[in-house]
Parts: sequence; C-alpha cells; structure tokens
Amino acid sequence: MAVIETNGLTRYYGPLCAVDHLDLAVDHEIFGILGPNGSGKTTTVLMLTTLLSPTEGRASICGFDVVKDAPRVREKISYVPQDMAVDIKLTGRENVLLFARLYGVPDYKHRVEEALSVMELTGRADDLVRTYSGGMRRRLELAQALVHDPEVLFLDEPTIGLDVTARKRIWEHIHSLRKEGMTIFVTTHYMDEADHACDRVGIIDRGRIVALDSPARLKSRLQQDLVFARVSGVCPVIEIEGMTYLGQSGDEISFAAENGSEAVPAIKDALTSCGLHVYALSVREPTLDDVFIHCVDTTREPEGFDDRRFRSMLRRRK
Amino acid sequence: MRGIFVYFGRDLLRWSRGKLAVISALVMPAAWLVFVGLALPIRFTDHYLDFITPGILVMTMLTASLTGGALLIFDKILGYFQKFLALPTPRESLLYGKILFITFRGLIQATIILAMAFLLGATIYGPLQLGLTYLILFLFGVVLSGFATTIALYISDHDGYAAFNAMISMPLFFTSSALMPYDVMPEWLRVIAVFNPLSFAIDAIRGLSIGMIAWVPIGALVVLSGVMILTCTWQFRNVTV
Repeated sequence: MAVIETNGLTRYYGPLCAVDHLDLAVDHEIFGILGPNGSGKTTTVLMLTTLLSPTEGRASICGFDVVKDAPRVREKISYVPQDMAVDIKLTGRENVLLFARLYGVPDYKHRVEEALSVMELTGRADDLVRTYSGGMRRRLELAQALVHDPEVLFLDEPTIGLDVTARKRIWEHIHSLRKEGMTIFVTTHYMDEADHACDRVGIIDRGRIVALDSPARLKSRLQQDLVFARVSGVCPVIEIEGMTYLGQSGDEISFAAENGSEAVPAIKDALTSCGLHVYALSVREPTLDDVFIHCVDTTREPEGFDDRRFRSMLRRRK
Repeated sequence: MRGIFVYFGRDLLRWSRGKLAVISALVMPAAWLVFVGLALPIRFTDHYLDFITPGILVMTMLTASLTGGALLIFDKILGYFQKFLALPTPRESLLYGKILFITFRGLIQATIILAMAFLLGATIYGPLQLGLTYLILFLFGVVLSGFATTIALYISDHDGYAAFNAMISMPLFFTSSALMPYDVMPEWLRVIAVFNPLSFAIDAIRGLSIGMIAWVPIGALVVLSGVMILTCTWQFRNVTV
C-alpha cells in the first residue's frame, strides 16, 4: 500500500466542486501538485492533513483513513501551510520546542537541537523570530515540522516569496529528507522548481488530475519543440506541413513541430517565399510551462467571476 | 494534559514579552474602581466601595475573558491554529490551555483590584471569603473564556472579533447587578439582571461579604461552566478550517 492513497476523493463547497474524484498513489518520493489558482491544490492538502473532511471518497496516509483514524494520521504527518506560520514573539528555539513538546517527542531537548542544526539555525536560535529573514523563517518552519520525525511532509507553496538562494537551499533540504525515506507532498506555482525538484508531478485543473508523470516524461509526451523566427515585416498566417503556427508577437513568429531542428530549414524556406527576411531562428525544447498550458484549460472564465461564491470559498478555506 | 500546559506556557511567555499589554490590562479596571467606586455621589448603599468591588472584580474577569478570545484570532492569523489542528495533541487541549491562561490572567488582574480596594478603604476579606471569591471568579472566568474562545473559532479577523466583543460586553455589564442593588432597579432591568450570569458571580461574592455562602448562584456557575466546557469541547473536536 502506498504512503498516500486517495480513491475518488471529492470535496464540494456548496455547489462548487473543488476536488473532483481524485485518485492518487504517492510513495517515498517528492510529489508535486501543480495547478492554476483555485484548482483544488490546497483543498486536497487540507483533506489529506485531516483539516477538512471529504464530501465523498476516501484517502489514507500510511494505511490510516484520514477521517476515521484522523489522530493516527496526525502522528504520521507534518503540515507546513502556505502562509509563514512562526511566532515572532518567541525565539527560534522556543518555536521548535513548542512543537516538540506538543508532539510529545521523547528526549525533546536533544531533538530540538538536532532539527535546528539540520536547518542551519543553531547560531540564531536564541534570537526572537521577529529578526529572522524570510528564508530563515521558512527553515524554522521546516525545523518545527521535522522535530517529530514525520513519515509524510505536506508543504503548501514552500518557496513562495523567497529569493533565489533561499529557494535553492529549501529545495536542497527537501531533497536530503527524501533520501532519508520521507514522502513529500508539495504544491507549487513555480514550474521550473517542480521540473528540477519533483520525482513526479500531477497537474490539477478544476479539481481533476489532467496529467501525472515524471517531469521528463510529461515533456517528452508533448512531442513538440518550439521554433522561433525573427523576421522583418508582418507575416500572414502561414501553413507549413507537419507543424503548427502558434502566432506572432512583435517581430517573432513561433511554430510547434515534432522535431525542431529538422523543421528549421522548412520554416526558413516558407518565410522567405512569403517575401520576409529571416534574421534569426531558434529551437527550444518544451518546458513544464508548455505542458501546463497544454493541459490546463486557459480559455476559462466564460461564466464570469462570481464574487459571492469566490468569497465564500475563501472564507471556508481559512 | 501535557498539551494543555504547553499551550498555557506558550501564551504566558508571549504575554509576558508584551509589557504594554500587561500594563494596560491593569489600568482599566483600576480606573473603574477609582472613578465609579470613589467619585460617583451614589447613596443607595452606605458603603458604595464595598458594594461596587465585587462588580468591578467580575467586570475585570468579563473584560479579561472577552479580550482573551482574541488570542485564538491571533493564532489564526499567525497560521498556528491550522498547524495546531493538524497535531496529534487532542484539539480540546488548545481550548483548555486558552481557558486556563485567560482565567489565570484575569485572576492576576482581580488580585490587583482587590489589593487596591482594600487600600482605598473597602472592608478586608477573611481567608475563607477570599478563597471562595477566587473560586467564584475562576468559575466565571471558565464560562466566559470558554465562550469567547469558541466564538473566535467562527470569526476570521480582529475587526469582527472587536465588534462581537463590543456588542456583548457593555450590555452584559449594565444589565447585571454590578452597579446597583436589585431594589433600586427598574422592574424590566431587574428581570434581566436576575438571569444574567454576571449577577450570579456578583451576588455570590456580595453574599460572602455579609458572611453567607450563596449556594444558589455558586451552584448555577458550576453547572454553567460544566455545560460550557462540554459544548466548547464538542465544537473544538469537530471544527474544520
């Protein structure tokens, strides 16, 4: 049995379906869940961390049902919510100590020192958290979350609002945790991070998983390279066999083709025959961004923005 | 049990770091005692300071408890509340920790009020009277802080909580027997005042000062705090974010 398993997991907020029959199995890996705002990422995490009960379906963590065995599940997991949750009126050590004692960690003093030193916070442990930088606060949160040696770690947007170095450091820490056998379930908006860091990603849209695989395989499944041509003058819409015209922005025209390098000569010929001068041609392999845009329905919002529904949803998510 | 004391200790530590909060908590009831107890030319009892002291004590507990509910709002805004709910520690420990801390803080304030009242010339309480006064204030604190903390579960920000606090504290205080004896109240007020939980506590403490133990209001407070604890525990166990 996988560490995290969901079967037809569903959650409605009134008539609004936030998570729609989700089936997942996550096992000793870094699993990233990606999706546009309001696609159901946080709702999924809240259900898996026993903070929200599912409308339908089941989910289990380490074999314990999230509804029936909620207390057992809470012993196995740690949850780091999206907003930085550290107490600025306490010192770093006091923050971690609080959680160690709440979890009832045996030999808690020793564990606290260990968690602080893993997160490289020992030197500042006795300063008030008020004086910590964003990256240090995030690491402090991880130290809190790790103090009881959880089997599953839930991270909601772990690197939001951090600078590049701090982000890199957080991901290094997450990687070393995975090596020790921890299962890590992470939601993120940053495609490049998911691409580098996650073993597998699931793309979620309107509460449904629309793609699920390793980043490399998702990208190769697109079977598309992007070719960009810089030209002079305005180009009419051109049809070239075996590739798709994607559009023109400024003096740059883009095409999608199965094999980018082989498509380059054909594009050059076609553009020249239209009487355009081609300055530059470049080929780019698809990124997770392209997979995301391909999978997620971006033409949405025909219903308009229902303010009342949106606000009631926000309220419930708090 | 462990969880309760950990939560209690945390709130105590946070409170002791904010000097202004500690000072302000002591100034307000003291002002009431001086301005209402000494300055008002009221003549329906022979010793108004003796009469008003129980009222101010209970009011102090009321204010302390209702302000204490905001602690949970702080935790919510801090993001700690969500983390606490995801802990294996029983959720009601958080509630009991809050009740314990809020009531403890209220009792410290009450102690200062009592000391001031005695200094200003109120009749000094005997040991038994003092012990029972603290018991009554504790029970009353449990009822009100449990209520306030549970209401805070359903309010998401400080503005909302401040509005709730303002709406409930003034009417509760003025419809109680804090400021005047029942026989000088208008008829409609007397009916309300008899059933006001503030009056239970105030009457019980006043009863002590004329040497009788008022079992009825004390009993009512015991029952009320029991019911309150059970209801709030149930709410905390079943809360979702």
